[in-house]
Amino acid sequence: MVVLNEIQREIVRRALREGRRLDGRKMDEYREIAIQKRPSDNADGSALVRLGKSQVLAGVKFDLATPYADRPTEGVFSTSAELLPIASPLFEVGPPREDAIELARIVDRGIRSAEVIDVNSFFVEEGKVLALYLDLYVLDYDGNLIDCAALAGMAALLGAKRPKVENSKIVRGEFTGPLGITEKVVTCTFAKYEEGILLDPKLDEERGMDARLTIATMPGKVCATQKGGWGAFSRKQVEELIDVSLAKGEDLRRLL
Amino acid sequence: MAPPKDKPKLLKDGKRLDGRGMGDLRPLKITAHVLNEANGSAYVEWGKNKVIAGVYGPKECIPKHDQSPYRAILKCRYTMAPFSGAEEHGRSGPNRRSTELSKVIREVFENVVIAEAYPKTAIEIYIEVLQSDGGTRCAAITAAAVALADAGIPMKDLVAAVAVGKVEGRMAADLSKDEDNFGESDMPLAIAPRNGDVLLFQMDGMLTKQEMQEGFDLAYAGIEQVKRIQADALRKVYEEGGKDVVSLKM
Amino acid sequence: MANIVLPGQLISEKEERMGYTFVENGKTYATVPSIQNDDGRLVPLRGPYEPLEEDMVVGFVSDVRFAGYTVNINTAYGAFISSRDTRDKFALGDIVSAKVREVTEVKELTLTDAMSLKGGSLIKFSPVKIPRLIGKKNSMVTMIKDATGCDIFIGRNGFVWLSDKGDVSLAKRAVQKVDAEAHIPGLTDRVAAFLKENKKQ
Repeated sequence: MVVLNEIQREIVRRALREGRRLDGRKMDEYREIAIQKRPSDNADGSALVRLGKSQVLAGVKFDLATPYADRPTEGVFSTSAELLPIASPLFEVGPPREDAIELARIVDRGIRSAEVIDVNSFFVEEGKVLALYLDLYVLDYDGNLIDCAALAGMAALLGAKRPKVENSKIVRGEFTGPLGITEKVVTCTFAKYEEGILLDPKLDEERGMDARLTIATMPGKVCATQKGGWGAFSRKQVEELIDVSLAKGEDLRRLL
Repeated sequence: MAPPKDKPKLLKDGKRLDGRGMGDLRPLKITAHVLNEANGSAYVEWGKNKVIAGVYGPKECIPKHDQSPYRAILKCRYTMAPFSGAEEHGRSGPNRRSTELSKVIREVFENVVIAEAYPKTAIEIYIEVLQSDGGTRCAAITAAAVALADAGIPMKDLVAAVAVGKVEGRMAADLSKDEDNFGESDMPLAIAPRNGDVLLFQMDGMLTKQEMQEGFDLAYAGIEQVKRIQADALRKVYEEGGKDVVSLKM
Repeated sequence: MANIVLPGQLISEKEERMGYTFVENGKTYATVPSIQNDDGRLVPLRGPYEPLEEDMVVGFVSDVRFAGYTVNINTAYGAFISSRDTRDKFALGDIVSAKVREVTEVKELTLTDAMSLKGGSLIKFSPVKIPRLIGKKNSMVTMIKDATGCDIFIGRNGFVWLSDKGDVSLAKRAVQKVDAEAHIPGLTDRVAAFLKENKKQ
């Protein structure tokens, strides 16, 4: 529902002062999550995740590419996100906005830091490496695209297969085996209000929040963080949220 | 540039490679109302094509100078996901082909949407090809028609589309990707089933008039099947009652 | 199951003057997915709000100017309250109920009798199903209000305001149930049973 951010803020805050969220969830409770594995045949890996009413389709595609000059034997891993206009009246047609770019980079950072993709095994020959493209296609927007897209990306990678390479070319449709992801990386995103901090904000909770904090984790470790929005978190809050993320992260990992 | 694939034989004992008869369509499944935000939506699986359409509107037409005082303006955007093809990773966003398709698809619906009911507004159609395997524009139009109905946009008809073409000398309905690439002609058609009006008509290759007429016969027959599946999809939404949260299932 | 008709479907071999249809060559066809009643009339299952004079609508103030207020009622067209028409003063974001005084040819609305609805929340509801939420002589909405103690104000435009008091959560779920099942016969009994089962003691 397109409500002015300020009005939405007041509605959420009123409920928080009474100790509740608008939809009755606990402060650290996720909405219902559904993961569909390998929905796409043409992609080398894919997953469709629904988080509440948000829905994101992630696709993995391999290509051959020239490696970066300073890392000539390392493969390429690149993530991009599209906030498709089909997903929300708030998304316009046009080149990727800063929100889409930030979303892609946050999801990318967690996966890259945790080193779960062995890019060293992507070397083909001099001047040629495998490139893994992860595309996050947002189809339905009702808040917290970061966690939804991160789950979709991770699920797509977990089910992805390495293509066969022959005579320096990819043989489409033939694979050598699973991509081989070593750990599961997930994100937990929080919305901050003066009256409380909410995990997994719905759209109506997101629009009026003071600030946002995303913490990406692998088992026992934090591997990426991103604070968004104008407001601030205290150090104590940040440390508490790290604890929540490490714990909730395990719940999310079990779903993958 | 990859060397051309060896041209495969497309017909065997009078049947097509996937076992279909010349007039048979690939398996077609349609689900309506699969997205939560869009006013109307539909998901089509046709052969290995997977296409989703979403509709917003009638809504305020922005920019204002696009508005018409007499009718709603239709906008249509057709794009393909970078991971939708069987070959390499595509680029995001529109390209020349998708721009052309966005235009001709919009023009299909300009014929049937009763736009005068909503002056000064916009009705937006978004079509995303999630997986492509020959005949995506027909799947796109078929999905968009259901999405528009799901949104309650008044229309004079539920448009259906199918591509016909020539495969090793014989006319066939609903060309597969190989048949499209290696056959002699491809002719996608969108038809308003009520009065048989042709709303999309493209072709490439070479056909005699008689071959085209055979093609039309196959298309009109094929449309009858498509429209039944569209109708079932829309009825199913109501027979099951609404849900607070809907899911896309691919 | 009721008879569901689809766009382009033939309704009558004659020209009928009926909502949600169009006439071509003397015959009448449906334009949106609808249910055809026993009396032949079509009740749409989907579609935007079609404003009529005297309708009560609910929305929120989205612009405040000297001349008056613009109210967002979730349609493509503007709704306006003239300052001269109301003694109350409204602030940006206030939820208001109002009556449609005039619908222009281009579907712009002038509102009158505006009243502020304090607190509470707004939920979205399919405009075409609002009559079912109201019920004959307000029977459905009264049943939900009585069972939950929650005040409800229904806008024909598809915004429903629920007050802060009473069992707001149950009221919301009951309203959503009506939206989901409006076209399935036996709705009143089902909602009554639902309210009884879930009523907090």
